[in-house]
Amino acid sequence: MSETMENNVSTEVQQSPKKINVHIDEGKGMGMKKKNAIGAVLKNLLLAILAVIWLIPILWLFVTAFSTNPGISYSRFFPEHWTLDNFKRVLFLPDSVLQYGRWFWNTLVISVFSCVISSAFVLMVSYAFSCMRFPGRQGMIRLSMILGMFPGVLSMIAVYFIMKSIGLTNSHIGMVVVYSAGSGLGYLIVKGFMDTIPVSMREAARLEGANELVIFFKVMMPLCKPIIVYQIISAFLAPWSDFVFARLMLNSGISSDWTVAIGLYNMLDKTLIHTNFAAFCAGGLLISIPISILFILMQKYYVEGVASGSTKG
Amino acid sequence: MAKGKEKKVKKGSGTGLIASVKKYFSDFGIAVDKGDWATRASLLIMGAGFIARKQIIKGILVTLVEALYILVFAVYSVPYLSKFGTLGTVKMEQTFDPLTMQQMTNDYDNSFLILIHSMISLFLLLVFVMYYIHNLKNVYRIEKEAWAGRHVNTFREDLQDLLGKKFHITMLTLPTIGVVLMNILPILVLVAIAFTNYDQNHMPPAALFTWVGWSNFKTLISSGGMTITFGYAFGKVLSWTLVWAILATFTCFIGGILLAMLIQSKGVKFPKMWRSLFVVAIAVPQFVTLILVRNFFRDDGIVNTICANIGLTDFFKSIGLVGANQNYIPFLTSKGWAKVMIVLINIWVGVPYQMLIATGVLLNAPKDQVESARIDGASKGQIFWHITMPYIMVVQGPALITDFVRNINNFNVIYLLTQDVYTTTDQMLANSNAKEVDLLVTWLFRLTNEYYNYKMASVIGIIVFIICVVFTLAAYSKMMSGGREEDYQI
Repeated sequence: MSETMENNVSTEVQQSPKKINVHIDEGKGMGMKKKNAIGAVLKNLLLAILAVIWLIPILWLFVTAFSTNPGISYSRFFPEHWTLDNFKRVLFLPDSVLQYGRWFWNTLVISVFSCVISSAFVLMVSYAFSCMRFPGRQGMIRLSMILGMFPGVLSMIAVYFIMKSIGLTNSHIGMVVVYSAGSGLGYLIVKGFMDTIPVSMREAARLEGANELVIFFKVMMPLCKPIIVYQIISAFLAPWSDFVFARLMLNSGISSDWTVAIGLYNMLDKTLIHTNFAAFCAGGLLISIPISILFILMQKYYVEGVASGSTKG
Repeated sequence: MAKGKEKKVKKGSGTGLIASVKKYFSDFGIAVDKGDWATRASLLIMGAGFIARKQIIKGILVTLVEALYILVFAVYSVPYLSKFGTLGTVKMEQTFDPLTMQQMTNDYDNSFLILIHSMISLFLLLVFVMYYIHNLKNVYRIEKEAWAGRHVNTFREDLQDLLGKKFHITMLTLPTIGVVLMNILPILVLVAIAFTNYDQNHMPPAALFTWVGWSNFKTLISSGGMTITFGYAFGKVLSWTLVWAILATFTCFIGGILLAMLIQSKGVKFPKMWRSLFVVAIAVPQFVTLILVRNFFRDDGIVNTICANIGLTDFFKSIGLVGANQNYIPFLTSKGWAKVMIVLINIWVGVPYQMLIATGVLLNAPKDQVESARIDGASKGQIFWHITMPYIMVVQGPALITDFVRNINNFNVIYLLTQDVYTTTDQMLANSNAKEVDLLVTWLFRLTNEYYNYKMASVIGIIVFIICVVFTLAAYSKMMSGGREEDYQI
């Protein structure tokens, strides 16, 4: 603490003509610089160590996907021989259990439809709660917060039964309904963002005779672009990487119905793990590529959107 | 203007709620009492009042809705609701019919369908009653407007309102239906099942189940008799769930902040690159990474091979952390090791997320305060604890609550790491299908998915919900001040 203070003081002194003071300051400055340099090296080193820890399992996933050994290697981290056969098997040689192409397609269709519906719902609810004032609004917000506390995982048995009673288990339409129907509750972040947009923008449009629908599409949507991008990507990723609901709903044991999550999980059944582990890694790697790209794209929006949403929600 | 009003309601929310409910019904009473013949006729034919005010299309539509509901009630609701009290009495029986040479099934009751459709019927009834009351008030309002000689909307204007003043109705209808279907209805069904004996011995359609009152709740908390294991398992699982939720939330929260600060601190080259490296770890979906990691730490897995080679296994053996007769480290197969590993692996999974969020928060942090504190001679530690942390807590406090609730229900980490790997040695836990590492949710999931014990799963679900709600409300009432949102809409 005293160091920084003295440094500040001495910077002022530096400009004064007294030589001795300048001399002392230089000495101190050098010491600081050295300390800073060592600190910087240590920091970078620490980050490197942490990054290695975080990346080791990913690296293992990566290298095992290229292994000629179809099962788990117990003694070697890197495979002995390298091959692309696992990818070939996963993509082009489906068998009774492993039907990766089919799973990928199922997951993609379910995710796209869920993403469209739930993004639309979220935007609609956010607009109504953020930009409109109507009787019962506060009550609905409070109710939605209480409902939001009820985790989907808990009511999943009941969801399962309701879907079963209308014949939508083991169906991809059912999956889309499960993923998107209740999504209106996830409006908090988008609403938080909309709350930061000045009312005057909407008022101006209203004075020019625009109705709310026009304001929604022509005024608010362009202004909310960053948060909409965030919303769309996360609405796509949620079903894309969901495990629990898929496990509950797609329980027929028919491989062609599965999503990637269920397929990959079932691939590593105790009896299959020694023939499928490398293929599992190849499959896991393939499904991660689109997500990684989306995630890195989303990073910026995530930081901006979540930060502004949470300050202002 | 609305702000002051809302705050007032919040202060006395107990009395405010009662008052508004009172007003809701008294307005209805006034409408019946003071309305003219047309308004009163709307009690029977809901559109009558509108038609009398020349809102013919609206009147017809409203009456059609009424007729449709009555039809639905008679055809759909009555058969189910009439059996709601018993959940069905006729058991399924199959008899061989010698004439057609086929198995004949009698006209049996399916308890589950009765339950679920009764819940839907009751919900529809509630919605209809609310609509009915609302409608009468509406009719009365229009009557008064017509009397005062004010303009009464035409049907066209009503439709236009849906894009103007009443746009919220247009926007909220579909999402609300979705929430009713996916959130409210399941919760109601869940609560109902908790009061029945629906388990593997009472599985429709082959068997019936019925109401049993509070006995499932008693089973869960009682500590004597035949049911002793459920109470025992519940205590164990609940305490681990809470310990886990606290550990998981705070380790990831603090870890995320520290990592974000480290990446942003002076002297670190390429902060964006470092951030992206950590993000790669979470870009792989959890169902891949977690299954991978659990094979990484298998008893005969690669980590164990390495640990044995560098002598770590022997070291742990010598200090007693690994049993003398084991030649591997039971990362995920012994109680203590598994719990520690789960928390550590969760840090691995959770810290990058928290780092991203903390980065955003720190970027928006007020820099002038930090600067002036530095000039006043505050140390780095002081600045962190007295300026940065309080700011983060204000911004991230609500998110911390959600994280805690999410961790109580963190299904993925526990299930994907321990399912088929961890087996309990505690007979009392095994009796009630629980394990030491189970959270309430994973226990609930296995009870339903593997053991069909729906009644106990529902009870657990309700209890988890109560824990979450109590915790959240308590935390929010400490942290939040109502109606903040408008402060930012300049």
